[in-house]
Amino acid sequence: MSVEYKRIEHWIPLQKEAEEKMLAEFESGDYTIENPLVKVNAYLINPLSAVVLFKTKEETAVTIRVRGKTKAADIVHTFPKGKTHILPVLGLYANYNNTVEITPYRGKTTTIQIELGDVCDQSVVEYIETTPEYFQDNIMLLTPAGSEKSIGVDFAGDIRFHLTALCVFDAKRLKNGNLLIGTDRLIKLPYYMSGLYEMSMVGKIYKEYRVPGAYHHDEFEMPDGNILCLTEDLRSETVEDMCVLLDRNTGEILKTWDYKKFLTPGEGQGLSYTDEDWFHNNAVWYDENTHSLTFSGRHIDSMVNIDFDSGELNWIIGDPETWPEHMHKYFFKPVGNNFEWQYEQHANLITPNGDVMCFDNHHNSTKVEAKKVLAHNNYSRGVRYKINTEDMTIEQVWQYGKDRGAEFFSPYICNVEYYNEGHYLVHSGGIAYDKDGLPSEALGAYAVQTGGRQEAITVEVVHNVKMFELKTNSNFYRAEKVKLYTQGSNLELGEGQILGSMGVTLEFDTEIPAEAAGEMLPEDCNARIEDEMDKFTFFCRFMKGDLAMLMLEKGEEVHRYYISTTSQPAKAMCCGSFLDSDDRNTRTGINKAGLSGTYDVRVIINDKKYETGIKIEC
Amino acid sequence: MLKEVESTEFNELAESGLVLVDFFSTTCGPCKMLAFVLNDVEKAVGDKVKILKVDFDKNSDLTKKYEVKGYPTLILLKDGTEIKRMQGLQQKPAIIKMIEENA
Repeated sequence: MSVEYKRIEHWIPLQKEAEEKMLAEFESGDYTIENPLVKVNAYLINPLSAVVLFKTKEETAVTIRVRGKTKAADIVHTFPKGKTHILPVLGLYANYNNTVEITPYRGKTTTIQIELGDVCDQSVVEYIETTPEYFQDNIMLLTPAGSEKSIGVDFAGDIRFHLTALCVFDAKRLKNGNLLIGTDRLIKLPYYMSGLYEMSMVGKIYKEYRVPGAYHHDEFEMPDGNILCLTEDLRSETVEDMCVLLDRNTGEILKTWDYKKFLTPGEGQGLSYTDEDWFHNNAVWYDENTHSLTFSGRHIDSMVNIDFDSGELNWIIGDPETWPEHMHKYFFKPVGNNFEWQYEQHANLITPNGDVMCFDNHHNSTKVEAKKVLAHNNYSRGVRYKINTEDMTIEQVWQYGKDRGAEFFSPYICNVEYYNEGHYLVHSGGIAYDKDGLPSEALGAYAVQTGGRQEAITVEVVHNVKMFELKTNSNFYRAEKVKLYTQGSNLELGEGQILGSMGVTLEFDTEIPAEAAGEMLPEDCNARIEDEMDKFTFFCRFMKGDLAMLMLEKGEEVHRYYISTTSQPAKAMCCGSFLDSDDRNTRTGINKAGLSGTYDVRVIINDKKYETGIKIEC
Repeated sequence: MLKEVESTEFNELAESGLVLVDFFSTTCGPCKMLAFVLNDVEKAVGDKVKILKVDFDKNSDLTKKYEVKGYPTLILLKDGTEIKRMQGLQQKPAIIKMIEENA
C-alpha cells in the first residue's frame, strides 16, 4: 500500500475510555487515603498531572500539597468535603521523584511519591527573574507559536504544566476555573483550527466548540458566559475577517460580525497587507461599559471599535496614513507628549476606565514602504492610550519596551494583560535572530528554517518596576498568568461534549483533464491519510510546480480539492506549529460536512490520476 | 480570445477594450491550474474580454511595467489602463465576477 491510513480518535472519547477504566479500577479495589489509586496523566494530555482516588469513612475535606523543589514552590489545594475523593494533582515536575502530601481535615498526612520521567523539555526556559513573594504559586502559561507546546512556568523557572496536545493560540481562564484554548485539530493551513476546547487544568476536555469557519488567534468570554470566537468564511476569498458569538451550552452561533460590512478591504493598507488577508484579526475584546467590540487588525495597523448590536463603526485607533479621506472622521487626533502610533499590534484590550491597551509590535514603524524601519533599529512595546470619543483625541499614557530596543522586538504575535492600575504583563513572544545573530524581520518559523533562532521575553511591571522577567529560547504566542488550581473540585467526571459543526471545505470547480493512470500513487509521494470523525487530512509530497488535486469520487459524484505545491513565506504566520520543514510536503484538510457515503480517494498529478486504495466514510 | 503573447503583440492587443492579463510561470503549480480555469472563463465570457497570457520569466519588460512581483497575477485592463488586480490562484466565479463588473 503506497498510502498509509491512520484513524485518529477525538480526545473526548479517548478520555471517556480512560476515565471509565480508571473509575472501574477504583471501584474494584479498596483504596484508602493511606493507599490511594494514583493515575499519572489520567486524561492523556497533561503529563505533569495525576489523579489520586480514595474513599474515606467520614465526609471530609482533603488538602493536596505537591512539594516543590523548595518550600516556596509547593502547590497546595483544599478540595470540598466528601467521602469519595477523585482529586487532580497538578504541578508535578518532569525528571523528578515528586512528593505529594494528602491530608484530611484535622487528620494525618499521607505521603506518596510520583516519579516522572523526561516528559517535558525544561531547557526551553533560559532564565527567570522574580521572587516567590511576588509570583506566589502562579504559573506563567505560554501557548505555542512554533514547535514548542504549551507550558506553565513557576517563579523558579520550573515547568509545572504542559500539554502534549498541540492546542494553539490564546488560552484564557474562564470564570468557572476552566481553561479555554484553541483545539489541536487543524482544518486548514497555516493555522485554522476546528474550534475551542474548554478543559480543566488536569487536561480533561469538557467541550469542544466546533466553529464552521474555523478558529484562529483569539476568543473572549462574555459576561453571560457565551464566547466570542474569531473566525472566517472558509468559502470566501478572504481570511481572518469575521467573529461569531457562540452559545456556551450548545455551541450554536448566536451572532456573526463580518468586517466587510463596516470596513472596505484595501483601505488603510499596512505593509503586510494582502488581498486575501486584508485585516488579519488577531484579537477581540468586549467592553461592557460601552457595549462594544474592539478588533485588532494587524494588516491595517488599526484597532477598530464597533457597536455590539448594530455592528456600526465607532472609532479606529491607528495611523490614518493610507486611509481615504472619508474614513478620517473615525480616527483620533494625538495630544500630549511622546505620542506614537502602534503598528501591526496584537491583543487589544479595554481597561476598566475605558483606556485602550495593546502590544504594539511596531513592525515596520510605518504604513509606507519608503519609511520602513528594519528590525535592528526597531522596538516593540506594551502601550496604553487614553481616548476621548467626544473630541476624538488620543493620548499615550504608558508604555513599556521601547527602551529595550531590538532585543524586545517581535514582528508578530505577543500580548499585554491588565491586572490592575499600573500592573501589567507585556509578552514579547516573537523575537527572532538570523543565522548571523542579528535581529530579524523573519516571523519565528521562517527564522528557524533559515538557520536563525527564536526567543520570547515575558515581563510584568508594577508601577513601572519590573517584577518578573522570563526568557525562553522559543517563540510563544501569548503569555497568561494563572493559578493551577481554582476553588472547587477542579475535575468533573463524565463524557465531554463535541458541540457545533464543521463548515464545508471549499472545492475547486474546474476540472483537470487527467488520464486514469491505473496505478497507485508513487511511493515517493510518502502519502498518508489521517481520518477523524468529522474531517480527514491528506499528507503528500509533490515536486515543486506539480499540478495536484485531491479527488473524492463516488460514482458520478466528484469533489475536487486543489493542492498548492508552491510554497512561499507568508506575511503573517502567527502560529508556525504546523509548518513542515520540507516545503515539498503538503497537508490538505477536508471537512466531512456536506459529504455523505463512501468515497474513493484519488489524486491527480499533472495529467495523470492515481489511486490511493483508500476509502473515506463520511 | 485566449492567447499567449509576447511584448509586441501584447502592446497591440492590450491597448483597447477589456483585457485580462495572466502573468504565469511554467514552473508554478497554481499557474497550471489557473490555465484550466481561464479556459473555462474564456468559454463563459470570452465575448466580453480578451485573455492574454504572459510568461513571467520571458517578458521582464512587461513584468516591470506592471510591477508584477509574483505569479500567477491577473491584471484587468480597460483601454490599456489597469483597473483591477488579483494575486494567486483564483476560482472561475471570482474572475468572471471581476470581468462582468467592469465590462
